[in-house]
Amino acid sequence: METQIAEFAHLAAGLGAGIILLGAGFGIGMIGKGAMEATARQPEASGDIRTSMLISAGLIEGATFFGLVVCILLGLK
Amino acid sequence: MSQALRFLILLTALTLFTSVNSYAEEQNTEQSESIDITKKLGDSNYLDFGVKIPLPRILISDGIHFYASTYSAINNGPFMDVYYIQNPDKFGTGPVKPVTYKLVREDGSPITLDMSITKHLVWFMFAGFLTLIMFGRLANKYKQGTGRTSAPKGAGQNMAEVLIIYLRDEVIKSNIGEKKYRKFTPYLLSCFFMILFMNLFGLAPWGVTPTADISVTAVLALTTFFITNLNGSKDYWKHIFAMPGVPVLMLPLIIVVEILGLFTKPFALAIRLFANMLAGKMLIISMLGMIFIFAAMFGAAVGLGSSILWVSFTIFIYALKVFAAFLQAYIFTMFSALFIGMAVEEHDHDHHHADAHPVTH
Repeated sequence: METQIAEFAHLAAGLGAGIILLGAGFGIGMIGKGAMEATARQPEASGDIRTSMLISAGLIEGATFFGLVVCILLGLK
Repeated sequence: MSQALRFLILLTALTLFTSVNSYAEEQNTEQSESIDITKKLGDSNYLDFGVKIPLPRILISDGIHFYASTYSAINNGPFMDVYYIQNPDKFGTGPVKPVTYKLVREDGSPITLDMSITKHLVWFMFAGFLTLIMFGRLANKYKQGTGRTSAPKGAGQNMAEVLIIYLRDEVIKSNIGEKKYRKFTPYLLSCFFMILFMNLFGLAPWGVTPTADISVTAVLALTTFFITNLNGSKDYWKHIFAMPGVPVLMLPLIIVVEILGLFTKPFALAIRLFANMLAGKMLIISMLGMIFIFAAMFGAAVGLGSSILWVSFTIFIYALKVFAAFLQAYIFTMFSALFIGMAVEEHDHDHHHADAHPVTH
């Protein structure tokens, strides 16, 4: 039973990490899309767009890490 | 020319010495040839330049004990490598060598606190001193007038000036604001260059990336945390403990969320840098490890053939890591500046409040 729980924990960690990356990748991809479109429309504002793109990407990344920490804790079980 | 020759001879000598030493070590310890990634990326109590250079141990257990090396701590002090406690039959007479470098008391009980200077700490300090020396000299140059009254001289000064001006104008000034940015510029600039150096160290042969260690990034994030909160304006604290425009019944919930937000920001800062640096290193070792996995699975010829693929992948990742080293240092600096800017900002209360309030996560 003990080993079975550990195996399920590892499985959950792997699945969880995958799902987290799906979400984060989609989110950051949307930001990249928006930033690229904005830069194409207004190339002179590319500096500001890049900064705000990185900020929002960073915030998404921050939320992603909380999910990943849960997965790491499960994986270390 | 003679300098290049001397360097070449030194390099050859070093390589020869290394190979002989590692061969001898292999003969001695009869360890398996498997590559231990976590051990390679983890912290250790010796510097690894092909030869192991021992680092001092500072141990707290019934008083403070100082030893120049782990070897000395085992043989001269009341400590023992945990390996010999578990395998008493390996413990012969005479001086014994450290194996796991994890020390316990002689009776097997754990020591109170291990405050040894480790590999990552040494490289961390090295990055600090490098930053201090390089930019101290640069500051002296500007004090003497080069760069202020004349154009900057030399490649170093030109390169540094480009980076510093960019960071000051685009990152620090735009995030903290025209009025208060001067006070925080030294911290943020040293932060950027120190993290950059630490990230780049790992790309050199035998180099170590101290930022691939959670405790190093945690200390950096903690510094930002303290600077942010010690410089918090009245408005900043008001927005945490008495958010304007929120119903009184909702306040307890909002306060809990805001206080949580105080700690999640530096936490995300630390994890982001750590995870990015560790992932890059892990990827390179895993990529190169694939050669050996292929060789073990399908024979040496396939391993050799596939190495063309894996080595080119590794070179690609390596180039990406150079980019990531700059990017992560930039992002750490930018987020520090953003958090500090959010803290020192004084709101204009005549304006509509909704858009004056910063984003928290």
